[in-house]
Amino acid sequence: MDQLAPPFHSDIPTKRYDAIVVGGGHNGLVCAAYLAKAGKQVLVLENRHILGGAAASDEIFPGFTFSVYSYVVSLFRPHIIRELELTRHGYQVIPLECTFTPFPDGESMTRCGDPEATRHEIARFSPADAEMAPRFSLAMTQMASFIKHLIDSPAPDLASLRISELTKLLGLGRRFKALADGDKYLFTKMMTMSAVEFLNLWFESDRLIGPMSVSGIIGTFLGVRSPGTAYVLLHHYMGEIDGAFRSWGFSKGGTGGVSLACARAARSFGADIRTEAAVEKIILRQGKAIGVVVRGGHEIKSQTIISAADAHQTFFKLVGERQLDADFVQRLRRFKYRGSSAKVNLAVDRLPNFSSKPGDGPHLCGDITIAPGVEYLEKAYDDAKYGDFSKHPFLDIVIPSLTDPTVAPPGKHVISIFVQYAPYHIKEGAAQWPAKREALGDTVIDTLAEYCPNIKDSILHRQVVTPWDLEQDVGLTEGNIFQGELSLEQLGPFRPVSGWSRYQTPIDDLWMCGSCVHPGGGIMGAPGELAAKSLLKSI
Amino acid sequence: MPIPTPFHDRTAALCTSYKWADWAGYFAVSSYNLPNDGEYYSLRHSAGIIDISPLFKYEVSGADAVAFLSRIMTKNIEDIPIGRASYCCWCDDFGKIIDDGTVYRLDANRLRVHTAEPMLAWFGQFRRGFDVTLKDLSAQIAAVAVQGPTARDILQQVSDADLEALAYYSVATAQLDKLPVLISRTGYTGDLGYELWVDNTNALPLWDTLMSAGKPYLLKPFGLDVLDIARIEAGLILNGVEFHNAAHCLIESQKATPYELGLGWTVDLDREPFCGQRALKAVQAAGPRLVLVGLELDWDEQEALFAKQGLPVQVHPGAWRSGVPVYDNSGNRQIGKATSGTWSPLIKKNLALASVEKQYAKTGTRLKIEYTVEYQRETVTAVVVKMPFYNPEHKRR
Amino acid sequence: MNTSTNNAYDVIVIGAGHNGLTTAALLAKQGRKVLVLERRSTIGGLAASEEFHPGYHTTGVLHDSGQVRAQVVRGLDLKSHGLQIRPGRPSLLVLDPEDQGMLLSNRERRTTKELHFYSPEDARQYRQYRKFIRHVAGVVNRIFDQLPPATDSPNGRTLWDLFKAGFALRRLGRSTMLDLMRIAPMCVADWLNEWFDNNRLKAALAAAGLSGNFAGPWSPGSAFNLLLWECAAKYRLEGGPSSLIAALEKAFFSLGGEIRTDSEVNEIQVEKRQIKGVVLKNKERIKAAIVAASCDPRHTFLDLVPANQIENWQQQRIQHIRGAGTTAKVNLALNSPLEFNARAGEKITFARTGHHLDHIEKAFDACKYGRFSDDPILDIHIPTGSNPDLAPAGHSVVSILAHFVPYRLTSGWDAEQNEKLGDTIVAALERYAPGVRDSIVARQVLSPLDLEQRYGLVQGHILHGEHALDQLILRPTPECARYHTPITGLYLCGSGSHPGGGITCGPGALAASAIAQI
Repeated sequence: MDQLAPPFHSDIPTKRYDAIVVGGGHNGLVCAAYLAKAGKQVLVLENRHILGGAAASDEIFPGFTFSVYSYVVSLFRPHIIRELELTRHGYQVIPLECTFTPFPDGESMTRCGDPEATRHEIARFSPADAEMAPRFSLAMTQMASFIKHLIDSPAPDLASLRISELTKLLGLGRRFKALADGDKYLFTKMMTMSAVEFLNLWFESDRLIGPMSVSGIIGTFLGVRSPGTAYVLLHHYMGEIDGAFRSWGFSKGGTGGVSLACARAARSFGADIRTEAAVEKIILRQGKAIGVVVRGGHEIKSQTIISAADAHQTFFKLVGERQLDADFVQRLRRFKYRGSSAKVNLAVDRLPNFSSKPGDGPHLCGDITIAPGVEYLEKAYDDAKYGDFSKHPFLDIVIPSLTDPTVAPPGKHVISIFVQYAPYHIKEGAAQWPAKREALGDTVIDTLAEYCPNIKDSILHRQVVTPWDLEQDVGLTEGNIFQGELSLEQLGPFRPVSGWSRYQTPIDDLWMCGSCVHPGGGIMGAPGELAAKSLLKSI
Repeated sequence: MPIPTPFHDRTAALCTSYKWADWAGYFAVSSYNLPNDGEYYSLRHSAGIIDISPLFKYEVSGADAVAFLSRIMTKNIEDIPIGRASYCCWCDDFGKIIDDGTVYRLDANRLRVHTAEPMLAWFGQFRRGFDVTLKDLSAQIAAVAVQGPTARDILQQVSDADLEALAYYSVATAQLDKLPVLISRTGYTGDLGYELWVDNTNALPLWDTLMSAGKPYLLKPFGLDVLDIARIEAGLILNGVEFHNAAHCLIESQKATPYELGLGWTVDLDREPFCGQRALKAVQAAGPRLVLVGLELDWDEQEALFAKQGLPVQVHPGAWRSGVPVYDNSGNRQIGKATSGTWSPLIKKNLALASVEKQYAKTGTRLKIEYTVEYQRETVTAVVVKMPFYNPEHKRR
Repeated sequence: MNTSTNNAYDVIVIGAGHNGLTTAALLAKQGRKVLVLERRSTIGGLAASEEFHPGYHTTGVLHDSGQVRAQVVRGLDLKSHGLQIRPGRPSLLVLDPEDQGMLLSNRERRTTKELHFYSPEDARQYRQYRKFIRHVAGVVNRIFDQLPPATDSPNGRTLWDLFKAGFALRRLGRSTMLDLMRIAPMCVADWLNEWFDNNRLKAALAAAGLSGNFAGPWSPGSAFNLLLWECAAKYRLEGGPSSLIAALEKAFFSLGGEIRTDSEVNEIQVEKRQIKGVVLKNKERIKAAIVAASCDPRHTFLDLVPANQIENWQQQRIQHIRGAGTTAKVNLALNSPLEFNARAGEKITFARTGHHLDHIEKAFDACKYGRFSDDPILDIHIPTGSNPDLAPAGHSVVSILAHFVPYRLTSGWDAEQNEKLGDTIVAALERYAPGVRDSIVARQVLSPLDLEQRYGLVQGHILHGEHALDQLILRPTPECARYHTPITGLYLCGSGSHPGGGITCGPGALAASAIAQI
């Protein structure tokens, strides 16, 4: 670890750099790796003592390693794994086996990779839905293969009159035209509908629609019935495009394992990485970015600066509002963050025992969803709308220690709970989160205990990460895990500001490569890759 | 993991090979013993019994039950008399096949449909405007098929109904050793045979009754592997092999019309609108591009290819469904694909079902089919023949 | 058994609402022989004046009459048939239980002045907001007056139209174009938060984007509806919506048209996907080669067209149209003028509750769970304010559209629930107009279920289907979006088609032009 990324002040870099990447999260590291691979001298500066940003693993309690802020890897682009040879650098993602949903009435549903077994399971609640499930997957595969082109290339510029851009748009139009009539219809529906309405095109059972719809709201301040959430549903289906149902996986050693693999890859191409290197300022000269100031006043010059931090941090903290024109500032301010999720990490001395499906079994190895129905989720959202965390939140639970024994002592387990909604803007004011932190933790445990009574006695340690903590710890503005909400008006050419979605910024030689640019958040690596490729193309 | 059928206790005890398959989420025996020649020969020479419970079973009833099914099926269900069964297929709006199965007219307003894939949602979408009740009986009804030349003799011993009177593709209710069953003279082997449908609770007693009645007649259980050989010999197509459910296809070329599958005879175009009618009229007028044919592979050429490698000729036991290119007689142009085939122990030939361009479909046409010996890709002559390959007289007697 | 009218028509229009009459009159003007069939005994549909209590009249279920397309007024010369158009929207009083509320005047200057009192910054922003609306109105209004793009078989002409529309958008300037595209999927709350601080102002503006829909201020897509309304609503009709019906009726008759009331269509006769005519409830058959249906497309395709005459995939799309009503109607007859908090003596004709975005959102929340809120959002119109003849002297009529009242009430709609709804609404009104309860002479409560039964609105949806992003433009389905349908001779001409519900006459006019081309 020290070799890979020594602390800044123990080993102050002295080279002349072509590029400095601000932020050692997975996107920053992917970006650095691509640049270094192209022969550039690259330096990555990470604020914290460990790499990974929100995709970091940390041994919070002795013997227990947590993916502190994130939990699963769903979208990491396969071509990045190939191009950076990440497997050689320790990238190991083990697919999740299944999705388990307990219901308050003692029933439960386990959906897994075996289509016939899943059909039998769903048919217990709705035979028609069981029949439709493969057709839904098929439709999503079709949508995903269309949208793949959008995700794997920079966002189109809709207002440009340049021939090259118009040609690109025309190409996009042509690809759209080539879709079958039914798929066109579906695509327009998907881009505008809510997750629940979209799922309603196939399904009737609330028990299926509830847990399926949550993919549409993760990390957004929207309800499952809010239009625009259907697209996010697809976003989480992208992993399926390579043909496997299991689109989500555990990274060995926690999600930080992905970041470390990226870091090792970057290092192998010659990039320098430093931790404990808080960048305080981006130095500008005549409107151009020429370097950074690291805490302690150390200046480092570079040809290009690439920020993996979100737009708010980059421009308001590191660049400064005075350097920007008013229109750009106004647009930046309109970009919505409003984090809505929290994380509860548990170290336990035994496995949870669900009353609706007692005992151990494959259902514990996958993704356990507390989202028993649409109304439950809507009510959770209502609490958040008026500035409180959900009294009965949606929980997405994984037990990585069942798949990866390295993260907990033998016989003991780590449980990772993603919690929504826990809005950054609580009515008491975000700064009051520390006072509410444990209350949120209690609510989460109480909610879980309704399905899993033995959970309370099994807890050895508990860590609650509120959106405020996310902002404080890893610099995610308003605690948004995607560096900005994934809502329709903040995607593609509008991310983060219309006109500046191509990784460049109004400041010359300052680029962006975080989740706040197209194609957005998730442990995906695409913004970092696309930023690096765009930058390399421009020089 | 698959789940057991109502006959599982008996079939599991007999399945000494431990060769199981997943059939629609149920454990189904592939072969009881290895090699499975015994199963095959008893089916063709005496009788065999197979658990077909994983089929999907639906009951359609109500004043508009017949009109409702006529709206879905390519066949006019009005034409099926009470007490008769009929082989049917159904299509999407674009005339592309969804699935095939049998429709039993039990009563004026009560019918049963047996399908290969779940169809509750598909049938359900046509319910508007019809006074009809659609019930999914798949999990409540168990079924076995008793097939082979002595099938009738075996069943007649325990049946209170006169099976001589039960014509080909007829249905009746009967008591088999006091067990109420629905019995139809249908099957998927191309032989004389019956399918028996009972409540799950009567499954095991029925099995025991049939096995003891069949013992003197050498009745043997057979698995899916033998069924596959038999159905190819009989020229019967299979969902997932000869065609794919259009609702599960990603591209157009994976879909097929009934005409391409030799099912034109099940399409009754001139009547009240049914699903796919408009498209099928256009297909019929233009003629299908592809046609399903039966192929017989030239034996001498196969032998020669083995000889070329210094090997004695071998036959691959059992059926294959891997998909093999078919060329014109010059061997230069691919004109279709063989979807499945088998060595027929009875006919002593390699047979295949193939989908070829229309102009190559005439009986007697000589084509070339890909044939691999010792990793060498070659071709052998395959001749288009009349189907079914095997069609014993006693089937309809 | 059947009486058959030999007397065949060129066109039969189903439904004598404002859209049906528009289509009928425009086709009659072309010289076609047109018959309009109306299920009720009175024409006008949601724009019909109703005597809900002896001596007390409303001017229509809907209130807003400022969006009628100019091409209809011109094309049918409605002004010569008595239609009087007043420039400017009617003034709107935004009620607040605490004080005198806020008046959004029909004169921008006055509104700005009122706003200045609360926040000078908002007053400035309001001017900017109006400027923005004026800037984009031309382009947005094109949407209303143009056929939706053809998606089935794009030919040179439709591509040219699309290109022109794109070009017009681009001419607004790069940043405005991108802004419009950014706004469309937003929720009104976010969009208005970008402009203003004052909660009352935001709530006042937001409501127009939500009317009739299953959407609260935080529901994405509502900003587009608000933008459409802001750009379209420009004036008001003297005498309200019913005056439009009167003018349309006169125009239609003067062109030789025929209307038959009490004539409910039971079936649209189709043979081999070709229109033959219609069959009425009394079994009478009327022949026509063209039928234009102004009723909800779900009614047209799922009740009137025989099941086997449309293909399954088309039927699926129709069945998936979302449109469960969220609006109820309450008419009050008062023996005095209605006086609001601290507004005694002022002549108010339009008022609305909802003084905070959260207030509106909370009312919407209830509707998500199959309930109506204790504090529903009320759209209040006092027609006697401009026409005292609608009630006995000194008395008044209060017409209320209550939002977020679900069609699918968990407990189901019955007389008891209707009473409860009426009481809830009167109690709510009482908070803004103390004493109103004692002056009520009569009260009529129409739940969404009543609206369905009375006006034939499928699931009581006053817009014939949600105005959601996926149900606009290509409305109701892509293959029916250009008014013709998969059945030769069957056209759609109601609110279920582009540009949607509300009293615009847009669908009627565009359908007429589509029919005129054949």
